[in-house]
Amino acid sequence: MKPLNCPARLVLALVITAFCGRIAQAETVKIAIVGPLTGAVAQYGDMVKAGALTAIERINAAGGADGNTFEAVLLDDACEPKQAVAVANKIVSEGIKFVIGHACSGSSIPAADIYENEGVVMITPSATAPQLTEAKPRQFIFRTIGRDDQQGPVAAKYIIEQVKPKKIAVLHDKQSYGQGMATSVKAALDAAKLPVVVFEGIHAGDSDYSAVITKLKSRGVDFVYFGGYHPEMGLLMRQAREQGVKALFMGPEGVGNKDITAIAGAASEGMLLTLPVDFSADPANVALLSAFAAQKRNPNGPFQMPAYAGVKVIADAIAGTGSTDPARVAAYMHSHTFKTPIGVVAYDDKGDLKSFKFVVYTWHQDASKTAIN
Amino acid sequence: MGASLFAMNELLPELTQQLVNGLSLGAIYALIAIGYTMVYGIIGMINFAHGEIYMIASYVGLVTLSAIGVQAGYPLLLLLGATLIVAVVVTGLYGWTVERVAYRPLRGGPRLVPLISAIGMSIFLQNFVQIGQGSRDMPVPVLISGALEFQMGSDFTVTIAYSRMVIVGLTVLLMLALTLFIARSRMGRACRACAEDMGMTNLLGIDINRVISFTFVLGAMLAAVGGVLIALSIGKLNPYIGFIAGIKAFTAAVLGGIGSIPGAMLGGVLLGLVETLAAAYFPTQYKDVVSFVLLVLILLFRPTGLLGRADMEKV
Repeated sequence: MKPLNCPARLVLALVITAFCGRIAQAETVKIAIVGPLTGAVAQYGDMVKAGALTAIERINAAGGADGNTFEAVLLDDACEPKQAVAVANKIVSEGIKFVIGHACSGSSIPAADIYENEGVVMITPSATAPQLTEAKPRQFIFRTIGRDDQQGPVAAKYIIEQVKPKKIAVLHDKQSYGQGMATSVKAALDAAKLPVVVFEGIHAGDSDYSAVITKLKSRGVDFVYFGGYHPEMGLLMRQAREQGVKALFMGPEGVGNKDITAIAGAASEGMLLTLPVDFSADPANVALLSAFAAQKRNPNGPFQMPAYAGVKVIADAIAGTGSTDPARVAAYMHSHTFKTPIGVVAYDDKGDLKSFKFVVYTWHQDASKTAIN
Repeated sequence: MGASLFAMNELLPELTQQLVNGLSLGAIYALIAIGYTMVYGIIGMINFAHGEIYMIASYVGLVTLSAIGVQAGYPLLLLLGATLIVAVVVTGLYGWTVERVAYRPLRGGPRLVPLISAIGMSIFLQNFVQIGQGSRDMPVPVLISGALEFQMGSDFTVTIAYSRMVIVGLTVLLMLALTLFIARSRMGRACRACAEDMGMTNLLGIDINRVISFTFVLGAMLAAVGGVLIALSIGKLNPYIGFIAGIKAFTAAVLGGIGSIPGAMLGGVLLGLVETLAAAYFPTQYKDVVSFVLLVLILLFRPTGLLGRADMEKV
């Protein structure tokens, strides 16, 4: 066989290297989805999982991000800070470079330290505590949800302008998220000179809050803001009703799921809460809703669309940079905007969304809700 | 004088309500604490799985209630009775099994071995329920609704939910029955003899294994009543409620003098009251701090607990 001439060899070599390069570039990118898959707040894990998995499936079906397909790795942190650190270390040691999660603020904060040091891109669809992005300068940590200090003022504004209560109690569950929300709301109420007569922390996981309810009753409280999650909120409302306390209750988005109705029953009727705008009502997301329905997943919670948006942002950034290097992806995210189901996403230097809208809802005892403003 | 009387009038209604709250909480602690104290009194071991037994009772109660059907229109007493009986029997079986599986094979070994076994059993039971029933909060249907209300002071209505009255009433009845049983019956005498000197009791021809099994079953049954009643009153359940309840009840048993049955009753009620009053008159977040400081103080001055006897010290 006659050897190929020089130009022909060159062409062949180029074709081979180009082909090799193409193969090397199109890889399977693992995305860790982390949240409480077990434990008392497992609903939030389910929401994050539903949104992120739907996004990964849709992006893969459409040919992936710049030819790269995604693979979901589900991990459970039970919303416990200790377990979150263990999960984060596992993610680093397995070489996973992208994380959707963690779900709770208390577990996101310690995990974020690890991701930041190891250069893993983390996008939380649900952790709203400001400290996550505020305490230290972060390059790799992002959110697709607002912050407590964007949410607290919405609640406080509504209380001040619409409810105008005479005596207010602000309670919280002593955890990062709950206490943060409660402090933010109380600061706004104090500034408006509304009387906050009780400001105390209850112990999450207790089952009997009748002592604190009696305290509210004897002080004549007619409005309660609770910073925390639905199990405690449900018990507070139920036990308040049991003692004949007729105060109006309000909570942040952490109380907004149907289990609160299961726990509090009729006492949940009329509860106020702040939630992200209902993205599933956005006409632009109709096709997306049918994708959720096709997989029998529920799209109607506060965190499904943000989780979906997190995956979409990662995919777009990978496509935009043509690289799966987390440092380049993170830099791209800071400097570009992304079109997602939660609207156009743009990040500030801290990794927070430049704008995110919370709305006040009234909850009903059949677990439905109506927007107020 | 007039001023202070006026202040009393203002404070009394709230205090009354808080005492009602504390009493019902304390009654549950007492029911669970008896299980810890009886087991300790006889074999000198702390059964850390006891809190999980209480949690299992709540679940058994809920399952029974769902199986009968709350909407079916049966009379309340029948529903409550059936739920309690099924929960007590099934939970008693759990108590017996736990002792047979986790503790009896280790009896006679070093003191720490059954303790580790107990912790393992506790983790196992918690995970067992978590896998079987899911880890989410489960709502419990309202069975006993309504409350007794009466006006006190100028504008304070004291509310005593019927479900809490049932808790306190049933606890008092069970305590009386238990006291009589331990004092008068053959088995009660055998229990007391075992607590006094197990070796000697054995020599006198009493089957020690039967007495120990009986202790576990009785403790589990009392915890079962507590578990069902609290589930009905609180209205939600998850597999983790046993841990906190267990710690609190164990504290109550130590406070009253571990090994002493009247001590467990007293300790439970006292802990419930102190916790409630601490939450009421201090910022709520210091509730546990206040109650545990009190516990440490009591144990400093009475190391064997309120009603404990020095010669019952076994570890």
